Amino acid sequence: MNQPGQQTTNAGGGGSFIPPPRQDMEYICADCGAKNEIKSREPIRCRECGHRIMYKKRTKRMVQFEAR
Amino acid sequence: MPDGSQKSKRQPTFNTIQREESFKNPPKTGSTYPILNEFVTPHIESFNALFDDSGLPKGDGDGRGLLSLGLKDLGERVVFDGSGELGTESGQRGWGNRLSIWIEEVSIAPPRVPDRDTWSTERKIFPTEARERLTSYRGRMQAKVCWSINGNIHPDQFVMRDCGLVPIMVRSVRCNIRSLPSAELVRRHEEPEEFGGYFIINGNERLIRYLILPRRNHVTSLLRPSFANRGPSYTQYAVQIRCVRPDQSSVTNTLHYLSNGSAMLRFSWRKQEYVIPIMLILKALIGASDKEIFDNVMMQDYENTFLTDRVELLLRSFKMYSLYTGDQCLEYLGDKFRVVLGMPEDWTNQALGAWLIQKMVLVHLKSARDKFRMLVFMLRKLYSVVSSSCCADNPDSPQHQEVLLPGYLYGMIIKERLEEALSQVRNQIATDVRKEEAPVDFLDKRYIMKVINKVNWDIGSKMSNFLATGNLVSPSGLDLQQASGFTIVAEKLNWMRYISHFRCIHRGAFFAELKTTTVRKLLPEAWGFLCPVHTPDGAPCGLLNHLSRTCRIITTPLSVAEIPALLAAHGMTQAFSSSIDGRKNLCVQLDGRVIGWARQLVAHQLATNLRIWKTEGRHKVPLDLEIGFVPESKGGQYPGLFLFSTRARMMRPVKFIANGKDDQVGSFEQVYMNIAIKPDEVELGVSTHVEHAPTNFLSILANLTPFSDFNQSPRNIYQCQMGKQTMGTPSTALQHRTDNKLYRLQTGQTPVVRPHLHNTYAMDSFPNGTNAIVAVISYTGYDMEDAMILNKSAHERGFGYGTVYKSQIIDLKEMRGATKSSASPTLHFGLGHDVRTAEGNEQHTCCQFLDKDGLPFIGTKLDSGDPIAAYIDETTGRTRFVKYKGDEQGIVHEIRMLGMVFALIRVAADEIQGGDTGDTELQKLHITFRITRSPVIGDKFSSRHGQKGVCSQKWPTVDMPFSESGMQPDVIINPHAFPSRMTIGMLVESMAGKAGAMHGLAQDATPFQFSEEDRAIDYFGEQLLAAGYNYYGNEPMYSGITGQEFAADIYIGVVYYQRLRHMVLDKFQVRTTGPVDPVTRQPVKGRKRAGGIRFGEMERDALIAHGTSFLLQDRLMNCSDYSTTWVCRTCGSLISLGYDDISLGESSTGTIKATGPGGEYCRVCRAVAEEDDERARQALTTGQNPDRSPLPGVMVAIPSSNVLRSSSKGGDLDVVAVPYVFRYLCAELAAMGIAVSLEVR
Repeated sequence: MNQPGQQTTNAGGGGSFIPPPRQDMEYICADCGAKNEIKSREPIRCRECGHRIMYKKRTKRMVQFEAR
Repeated sequence: MPDGSQKSKRQPTFNTIQREESFKNPPKTGSTYPILNEFVTPHIESFNALFDDSGLPKGDGDGRGLLSLGLKDLGERVVFDGSGELGTESGQRGWGNRLSIWIEEVSIAPPRVPDRDTWSTERKIFPTEARERLTSYRGRMQAKVCWSINGNIHPDQFVMRDCGLVPIMVRSVRCNIRSLPSAELVRRHEEPEEFGGYFIINGNERLIRYLILPRRNHVTSLLRPSFANRGPSYTQYAVQIRCVRPDQSSVTNTLHYLSNGSAMLRFSWRKQEYVIPIMLILKALIGASDKEIFDNVMMQDYENTFLTDRVELLLRSFKMYSLYTGDQCLEYLGDKFRVVLGMPEDWTNQALGAWLIQKMVLVHLKSARDKFRMLVFMLRKLYSVVSSSCCADNPDSPQHQEVLLPGYLYGMIIKERLEEALSQVRNQIATDVRKEEAPVDFLDKRYIMKVINKVNWDIGSKMSNFLATGNLVSPSGLDLQQASGFTIVAEKLNWMRYISHFRCIHRGAFFAELKTTTVRKLLPEAWGFLCPVHTPDGAPCGLLNHLSRTCRIITTPLSVAEIPALLAAHGMTQAFSSSIDGRKNLCVQLDGRVIGWARQLVAHQLATNLRIWKTEGRHKVPLDLEIGFVPESKGGQYPGLFLFSTRARMMRPVKFIANGKDDQVGSFEQVYMNIAIKPDEVELGVSTHVEHAPTNFLSILANLTPFSDFNQSPRNIYQCQMGKQTMGTPSTALQHRTDNKLYRLQTGQTPVVRPHLHNTYAMDSFPNGTNAIVAVISYTGYDMEDAMILNKSAHERGFGYGTVYKSQIIDLKEMRGATKSSASPTLHFGLGHDVRTAEGNEQHTCCQFLDKDGLPFIGTKLDSGDPIAAYIDETTGRTRFVKYKGDEQGIVHEIRMLGMVFALIRVAADEIQGGDTGDTELQKLHITFRITRSPVIGDKFSSRHGQKGVCSQKWPTVDMPFSESGMQPDVIINPHAFPSRMTIGMLVESMAGKAGAMHGLAQDATPFQFSEEDRAIDYFGEQLLAAGYNYYGNEPMYSGITGQEFAADIYIGVVYYQRLRHMVLDKFQVRTTGPVDPVTRQPVKGRKRAGGIRFGEMERDALIAHGTSFLLQDRLMNCSDYSTTWVCRTCGSLISLGYDDISLGESSTGTIKATGPGGEYCRVCRAVAEEDDERARQALTTGQNPDRSPLPGVMVAIPSSNVLRSSSKGGDLDVVAVPYVFRYLCAELAAMGIAVSLEVR
């Protein structure tokens, strides 16, 4: 598997730009449903099947609405 | 059976268990509702027909696809390198080497992942991916371009040229989900009943709409006064034939009658019309002598002086051309058309003439003799119309119409694009030869390949553009009357609307702007083919129709090669035989080819025989053959036996009484047939056929209206409209849909009262409404004027509760500051250092909405203006936010991260890469919001009988009326809704629903089941009686407020109610104050901009008429552009205000100037006053008398108000209230040198 994840994407732009820490997030592949840990600025590809769409997982935070 | 005619014994059940089972375990083979796949077959099979491996039967052809046939018709393009010397063998005029180029074959592959992508395990692309990623569902097209030099074909003189990605029809032969069973479809995130027939363009489902065209290969006579304006001696008479080539492209030939007795043949070549004398063509075709033409047209009818006169004139008038032989005529034609045609230079005029006739005249026929016979037939029919021995045909009648099918149109466009590319290659080489710059060497393969690659072959993007816009870009116009409006979006608003798209058929954009309404008329010929009920009211009424339920469109080629021999064996005289008496014989034609002649009785017998043979499958007569026998009549349609076997015809199944077999009837032959509606209507000796079901003439939607035969017909039309606007269940694969807006009814139910076809068309899989207890009573007054009262408790239990799914696309490539080209973007989703994410008081407010990755939490409730995404701009290092733009509260439902690249990367010059590999980081998001829409006052509801109403109150249950058993209605409607509208079907539904609910029956509401003897009222009345209710469905009821019994019994029952998508929340428009137009300071218009509603002239008239001047002032002034301004009392100017600064007391320098109390003055008046003062001062210094001194002794008394330039010297100003636009007007007028002067009193 050749993962074309670029390490330094700083393409000239502002020389003093420090990329923020890369967040590890878990997403769900739209095709096979596998959980994928995709860091920010990594390509959106499923590690299992190579699919090109990811769903964001439902938050674990409490979601509370007022029922009216 | 496509008509669903094998009606099994109907069970009065809701099939709940079976449905649950099929939902849980979708069938592993086939689908639950096969009819859904059948009604889109014309779409899919017409697309399949493009390919050699279409899976369609071969018919008489060699089984090749339309693309191959089109390429054959395209031929080759020829160019010379000019290297030859004059008179040498290599080219007698110095043409040199002859290079001919042609396209050998084209192929379109199913959608696949590009080969460069090594990551994907699944190489196929499925439609769901195109939908979710908002891309198009496309497959790669390749063309094999071959060339030969001086006629020497060499095996490696070819190149495979890439033609880009062409959109593929879903479920067609090139689609990856073709013929997958339901279970597999569900696995592929499709609907279990997915039937395809559409294209996916940028995530939208678009389809090519059927279009009505003139019937192919059939001569129709026309009578149009406008023909007389075509030129001198043209008349209103003409006959027309639309000829279709094997590749389904067409050419229309029109034969005009001239007042001097001759006729002119008209055709168009590249949108340019040409007219040729018919004699020229007749001679050119077979080199016919004058006698031969005379004999063929006269057909021994020598007593007919009308005909002899005309034919004589025809022959005589051609003498002036001095063309005697066929070759001379061809030569003449070729000479005249050489410049236009652009064919190879080395062709002789004769060859060009022959080519022109082959390409433009009666193109459905190959042999010249057939063309000749057909032209003579056209001529005879033309003379017959002129002499009024037969009438003109009606081109608006379905009898003379057929359908333009999506796939055929698609193929025609591809063919034309290929032709364009091929011509470009030729022109490029010709230019190179002429310029003599580049070394042109035909023998150098690299040169030719270079030229081929230089030309734009990107057919895929052109096809995508066609589908996305519906605009046809074509040099020839494709023999169609319109250039736009071919495609529509298949909206998934609800199931009814969705399936209607695939059955709708349009008359053509040209007819929409016609002043006359004749084209919109519902004709009896349309019976069984076009639904009389299902057409929109308003502008497209009668132009946009829907196919009847059982109407089929023939897409398979039939084999009819043996029919001429078969008919000849049964008494038909062969076409070549001379000495046929034209008075007694009828012409026998097969697909616009004269195959013989027969006497009236013989022809009738032949027609009967053919019908028996085709229904019984004998003598290889195909069932879909159309046998149009037009008997002789006085002044009726031109007689003959016309057989049709071609595609794109409308046909429908009926039962042939003679042998009880199934027969297919076309729209041409139906006019001359007697088809009984019901078996008991069969008249012996008259009826030949009987309908399978009396409801077959209705469209799918019209069939779904319960008891529609009890309703007044316009109400059924309204229901067909409203059924398509209902908030229902659009899809069962909701989580995989990316539509901009989806409406969903949360608590859909199956109706208690439903027609038989409700189950057939899978309506229960996509419920569209709710069964409601409806009382017909005038209660509280809130049910006036079609309003309906909703029971508040019913509402709280979830009656009509709905959801709207909206989506927003966030594309960083389109944001400000995005780099356009490079592969490494400068914008990234995420939170930057400038956003404090740590919990506590310092935390950035966006953190309650956004996750660490800059995307919102799923399930977050958003208000307008809340952030829904954060991204970092690399160049500034700052975080920016995307805001939620909706104006109501929405909940984040789903977030799709779409990996894709937009930039077109040209890997090699010859290969156009879609660049759609999805190898870059996240740049595009698709966010779905869920917006809850519980019913509120002002929302629209309707029953299934065109009875719509607006919810006017949610009435508390305690105050609702109740029946003796304690039932309270969910909905109250006013009895006044019935008398004028006469929707008895709704009353019957109410009874049937009540009885069905009590007995647990699914009531059959198929129309035409009851009669005067067997009445619906009695049937359901008995059921009600058995359930312990009143026979007629009315009950004593008690007022919810006083508890007293009403004087009258109330009609109460169960009616299926639909919630329509028109909701106040999307429509209300109120404002007190708000944005104003910067120029006029009047309120802006438009709901989106929080604008007002125009209070126009007519509204103003009403207020004036009422004398409500205060209201008038309020609306037009105070609530609009009220403004105050200074006006000069002296000169009346609005625009000459000036100010002196008097804050520090009176100015000390010079004279005291007149100002108002605030220091304001009129600049104009002051200037005049100062000038006067100056003049007076000068007069004093020079001692002269002021020349304008009043004459002594003359006194005139003038009121001071009438004296301009009084002594105020510009200080006399006043504040008045005027509309702001008036001030603007004054300023504009001043700019034009017009002073506006106001009189202030």
